[in-house]
Amino acid sequence: MKKPTPKTKAKKSARQHVIVGNCIAAVSAANTLRELNPEDKIIIIGEEAVPSYSRCLITYYLGGMVTRSHLLSHPEKWYAARDIKLNLSTRAEQVDTKKRIVYTRQNGKKKKFFYDTLLVATGSSPIFLKSFPYDPKGIIGMRNYDDSNKLKGWAKKGKKAIIIGAGFVGLKTAYGLVKRGVQVKVVELLPTVLGRMTDLEASARVRDRMTRHELLDIELKNSVIATRKQGNKYVVTYQNGGEEEADFIVAAVGVKANTDFLEGTDVKVDRIIAVDDCQRTTVEDVYAAGDVCRSRHIVTREWIYNAIWPVAAAQGKIAACNMSGQKMVYAGNIPMNSVDFYEMWITAVGDVQTEGDDIEEVTFKSHSIYQKVKLKDGIPISFMAVGNVDGAGIVRGAIVGKTPWKEFIKKPQTQLLPVVNQLSGFVSKAVA
Amino acid sequence: MKAFVFRPDKCDVCRQCEVACSAKCSKSSSDSAGYAPFIKVYQSPQGPFLRLCKHCEDTPCVDACIGESLKCGNDGIIIQDEKRCIGCFMCNMVCPHGAIKAVMSIEKAFKCTLICGEKDNPPCVAVCDREALFFDDFSTTVKKRRNRKIRGLIKR
Repeated sequence: MKKPTPKTKAKKSARQHVIVGNCIAAVSAANTLRELNPEDKIIIIGEEAVPSYSRCLITYYLGGMVTRSHLLSHPEKWYAARDIKLNLSTRAEQVDTKKRIVYTRQNGKKKKFFYDTLLVATGSSPIFLKSFPYDPKGIIGMRNYDDSNKLKGWAKKGKKAIIIGAGFVGLKTAYGLVKRGVQVKVVELLPTVLGRMTDLEASARVRDRMTRHELLDIELKNSVIATRKQGNKYVVTYQNGGEEEADFIVAAVGVKANTDFLEGTDVKVDRIIAVDDCQRTTVEDVYAAGDVCRSRHIVTREWIYNAIWPVAAAQGKIAACNMSGQKMVYAGNIPMNSVDFYEMWITAVGDVQTEGDDIEEVTFKSHSIYQKVKLKDGIPISFMAVGNVDGAGIVRGAIVGKTPWKEFIKKPQTQLLPVVNQLSGFVSKAVA
Repeated sequence: MKAFVFRPDKCDVCRQCEVACSAKCSKSSSDSAGYAPFIKVYQSPQGPFLRLCKHCEDTPCVDACIGESLKCGNDGIIIQDEKRCIGCFMCNMVCPHGAIKAVMSIEKAFKCTLICGEKDNPPCVAVCDREALFFDDFSTTVKKRRNRKIRGLIKR
């Protein structure tokens, strides 16, 4: 989406927009709000002590692959240049939607903000269970800048870590810790790594590539049923009866939306905030965007929880347009992700693990490349590529546009994909 | 706002555009310059096709960039800060034209960012005498047609 044009109509008076949260949904919303309303006041309330950063890069930061200045994508001068008032280390505690006040606490001091429109973009935080409760000294999640700094401090050569969950966060954290010389064990309940984004074959390829590193071990179909502290170390008990000792534990079993401060309001929260296509919540002038709320599946039109960066970025913009009185509708997105481990790329788009009698599969398999498209009634619904991910967006276009596969493979650009032109896969393999 | 337009019916895959792009852009200071040309014409049984960033109006790649490396400038050109690119290839995953190439050997996304600096007449267009490649202001009709094709994130 390129820049929406500012409203030509003169406004009654300058309004005050308050944004709770300071990651991509909040920042893209603030940027769009400023473009549309040069006169209005924009206030960001951020819980963390640092200005906005690329949250997906914290595992890269942990592994030393990006620097601190690279991570902090929006330095304070970015806010100053747009005249956005930034409040760091400020925690929103309560909202009064009738009086339109957000109550916050900054370093113990209470502070309140009046708003004309409110955007909730507080994101999500890791889930801890009774079998592995949060412990600031050794059992943490991997979600923000502080977490990555903490892990950086703990990650010394010869240490041992256990990561619970082999989803994207779990594996990327493992990858980062191994780069620092930590011995890592990943435990996953499901039979595949990367959750819903892979099938057994792709999971095996990823797992083989990762466990080739001597410091890394991934165990599937197992889970942690208890943890206890023993001296400086933690001992976990597995479902299959085994026990293991580690210096620290990272919980990566999933996330929950941060909606605590909305308690007592009429904003409908069913674990995540219920929003409509314009990002409005059930309360007037209260909007939500990012990991804290739901979004549409662009193909099936169902409401899903799709906590990925591109959705948050787009929802922030849509919310900002609606907050400034320009009606915009978010069409939605599909579950998707792309990542690399040791020069092996994995891209998955759509509902990869869908099974059924009416599902057809088109696959390409070679030594280094594995690609698979699933078709329902002749229309592609998911795409997964391991090894060679080039041109994945072309298939995503067909999934989103519901292009029948027979028509799709007639397009010249599909010849890039090994799954369509089986020869191109062998050529690229020969070149590699 | 300007954008690239390709007419496959006029193209006879002479590859002059690739040569011109290489000649100009491989001398630039960009990391990926060694992998120029940024423009690539492929021959397929269904006719030629062009692999080149069209600098769309709807910018799914900019939204998807987790390293915030891709940015859309005021002139509508999608630029890339190569130092910030970490090679996750989220952009490759969302580009419906397949215009962003995933170069796995350098772990960088690879696309035309108009580093040649010729915003009026890029060398690839200047050299094309078959009238197959243009870089022009979009008329509303072309815009509409392309927007329908992209079916991007946002519907007004």
